[in-house]
Amino acid sequence: MTEAAEMMHVEVTRFDPDQDEVPKVQEYDIPIQSDWKVLDAINYIKDEVDSSLSHRWSCRMAVCGSCGMMVNGEPKLTCKTSLADYSGSIKIEPLANFPIVRDLVVDIDGFMDKFRQVKPWILRAKERAEDMEALNEKGTFSQSPAELGAFKQFSMCINCLLCYSACPVVANEPEFIGPAAIALGHRYNLDSRDEGARERNETFRGEGTVFSCSFANECSQVCPKNVDPAAAVNQAKLGAVIDWAKGLVLPREGA
Amino acid sequence: MIQVSRHDIVIVGGGGAGLRAAIAAAEAHPDASIALVSKVYPMRSHTVSAEGGAAAVARDDDSEELHGFDTVKGSDFLGDQDVIEYFVEQAPRELALLENWGCPWSRNDDGTVSTRAFGGMTTKRTWYATDKVGFHMLHALFQHSMRFENIVRYDEFFVTELLTENGECKGVAALEIRTGEFHAILGRAVILATGGAGKIFPFTTNGTIKTGDGMALAYRAGVALKDMEFVQYHPTGLPGTGILITEAARGEGGYLRNADGDRFLVDYDYGVGNKAELGPRDMVSRAIIQEFEAGRGIDSKVGLHAALDLTHLGEAHINEKLPFVRELAKTYIGVDPVYEHIPIRPVVHYMMGGVDTDVNSATSMPGLYAAGEVACASLNGANRLGSNSLTECLVAGAVAGQNAMDFARGSSEGNVERLRGQAECESARVDALRGSAKGSEQISGLRQEMNSTMEEGCGVYRDHPSMAVAAEKAREIRQRASDLHLTDKSKVFNTEIIGAMELVNMVELAEVLAVSAAARKESRGAHTCRDFPKRDDTNFLYHTMAYQTEDGPRLDKKDVKLGHWEPQERKY
Amino acid sequence: MAGTAHPEAMAPPQKGPTRTAPPQMPGTWWGAPRIRTYLLFGATGIVYFIAGTVFLHLVWQLGKGPEAWETALSSLSHPAYIAFNALTLVSVIFVGVRAFGGMMPKMQPRTGPIPVLPAGTVKALIYGVWSLMTLVICLILAGVLF
Repeated sequence: MTEAAEMMHVEVTRFDPDQDEVPKVQEYDIPIQSDWKVLDAINYIKDEVDSSLSHRWSCRMAVCGSCGMMVNGEPKLTCKTSLADYSGSIKIEPLANFPIVRDLVVDIDGFMDKFRQVKPWILRAKERAEDMEALNEKGTFSQSPAELGAFKQFSMCINCLLCYSACPVVANEPEFIGPAAIALGHRYNLDSRDEGARERNETFRGEGTVFSCSFANECSQVCPKNVDPAAAVNQAKLGAVIDWAKGLVLPREGA
Repeated sequence: MIQVSRHDIVIVGGGGAGLRAAIAAAEAHPDASIALVSKVYPMRSHTVSAEGGAAAVARDDDSEELHGFDTVKGSDFLGDQDVIEYFVEQAPRELALLENWGCPWSRNDDGTVSTRAFGGMTTKRTWYATDKVGFHMLHALFQHSMRFENIVRYDEFFVTELLTENGECKGVAALEIRTGEFHAILGRAVILATGGAGKIFPFTTNGTIKTGDGMALAYRAGVALKDMEFVQYHPTGLPGTGILITEAARGEGGYLRNADGDRFLVDYDYGVGNKAELGPRDMVSRAIIQEFEAGRGIDSKVGLHAALDLTHLGEAHINEKLPFVRELAKTYIGVDPVYEHIPIRPVVHYMMGGVDTDVNSATSMPGLYAAGEVACASLNGANRLGSNSLTECLVAGAVAGQNAMDFARGSSEGNVERLRGQAECESARVDALRGSAKGSEQISGLRQEMNSTMEEGCGVYRDHPSMAVAAEKAREIRQRASDLHLTDKSKVFNTEIIGAMELVNMVELAEVLAVSAAARKESRGAHTCRDFPKRDDTNFLYHTMAYQTEDGPRLDKKDVKLGHWEPQERKY
Repeated sequence: MAGTAHPEAMAPPQKGPTRTAPPQMPGTWWGAPRIRTYLLFGATGIVYFIAGTVFLHLVWQLGKGPEAWETALSSLSHPAYIAFNALTLVSVIFVGVRAFGGMMPKMQPRTGPIPVLPAGTVKALIYGVWSLMTLVICLILAGVLF
């Protein structure tokens, strides 16, 4: 509000399945502020120019993970990407590698299913009632800062799905379970409170999971939260193989 | 043709409280079917943005008595003490449960959960996971909820009406955002867990989804909204965006400084436990405004602000305890707190008021429950203490889940055809609204008008003439909101019509807020009036209850539940 | 007392499907630096494929007898093969540098069993080990070691 408005040319993908056969591009010229993020520009269009534009957003502080889009061909969290990094014109498209529902909104139900496949919850060998002795008098598990640190990084994923958009394997093999889901499964495998690594590693040895990864490392490059899913995927490969080798050598528990 | 689905209970909202309620119900009744309806995917819910921590007694030098008294005093004695006693008793168990479910709480070297200091709390009782507590809690809850196959999620469904029969709540009518089709999602009990309505105000830490939908649903169904005049201003938001900088920054040792570079809070003496900066939020926010008015605010291109100084904490400490604060400050205001002061100013953060509930999370309507920020069980009274709200989501959510399930098991399903009919009416109403270019009001324009009205009338400091103006203006805006100009005719992911319905919800609440505020002629907690600067227990020690009528809200009173702690002067 | 939910209640919500557009790559995908490097990375596979074929050819010739082996060896001094060999070296270095880049710590700080070293130290370690291994292999090939 304090500075003279600069103009920007914005190209936005539009797609309304009721009307359009295929996605098209709509162009807007809008005044911008120097401290705006890309999301602010989209919201300006929505509020002041064209209220029929559909996009997802909420927290505008890079933690809810709603507003991932392609900005000039790169997957970006639009609330975290400064408009000042682009000059003159900018192209905003829906996240690559996802079916487009409408305008900048993509279908992420496929991801939600993959997410569940890695069993992203604490698995314990014993039933809850028999498991109480594992807890201290305050009712919590004991976990040292080092044990916490072992998985903390991989628990920071906000499910913004930029990694799926960047991943060349996802592009070729849509069934690939993908970086975020593997990182999440691996996060629980590394958690000292969890006893489900063997179960998850079985999933990881299945088709379309960790061994589909070609270590392109694209996921880690675009991750806005520095979760480093590529590291998780490759550590998970190792874990899955070690578990498999153990199964060959050691007698099965309970057998 | 609308789809009818039938469940035992229906939960509206997939944030902390909604997920906790779903898990409580699913655990207790593995054979029951629980619908979890949310207008966003659950991991997008605004619980995700909470930063500082969740309060529960953990240390040996602490007690439930102390936590209870801190909460009552923080509430400026408007908190219901039966609720507070139940809350402080359940809090440790709830946070420990979350730990068992995988929440990565920060740890002490001996493997126990670490706690930190927070405003208005006499000892360290705030559990934390660095400074992304809400994020970790929400994701732990969501991921844990996925193990229950009897929780059926309806992601991106916008609830537009509560379906009722003989005064009992029997389900909801919801618009599937993806398809534009209507659903009647039936259950024998309904839990509202939709969060607050910070977006009524222009400058808020709240995300765009926090439009008070649940409050408006209950209000329209005849349930009272309680204590809506109490709006919490968080002392430290980034100027411009309103992004939250957590109170933990002060809990970890940060200072607030004015234009002269002074730690001005020392002079106000609100601090708890030898720490001037650890006053309750209402008081610290007022102190900042007083500094502005005394000419000691820092003027810059982002407007008048104070400064949060973390530079003395050192890079290692900031990286270990406050990494998100550093990330936010760098990204959104271009300041690295390791070397520079973060500009901050008070920002709308939380609604103490909401749907009137009791210690059982039950509303006055049989079969309708509410938990979390949407509800007002009067845990927070006139001012909430930082880090009590995340715990409240869990405690109240669990209670709501269990009680709603019990209620559902003892009641009947209702007449499915009649309920479908209700949903069909609702569907017709929304169909008529979609893309109707007849109206003359722009959504964004009216929203901005509502925003500025509320900021002018119901800020940190209020006075009755301007509150009356705001109430009048809010009423006019509510009437104009029935004449919106919509252009998007598509049924698929039409965010314009969602925005319109959210605005209608907000303007309704804005009016309730302003009218409730204008009626309270005293200063209590977050409701601070220049023309009535003192608390008045003789005339105003009651809850404001607002009921919907055609001419706007009708106000009533409800007694505060006292008992264990007698009201006294609130001094720190 | 009412019973449990309707038997159909457990069924997941019927998402009325809407027609979606297939996933699309950004129109400028081939021009993005990130994708260009990835394509280059993928293209090194061709180089390794050829190098592998040459190696198999050598083994095959070895099996045929000393004469064939000598001919095969002498053909390696052809300038085209030397140029190709240089290309292989460049490819290996490129893939190595790229992979090592991925091993850099992404999040600071990380309180784990293995403390996160500063990026500079990690880099020095990785490249130190790499150079050392290269040196050892060169020395073995030159007949200095063993």
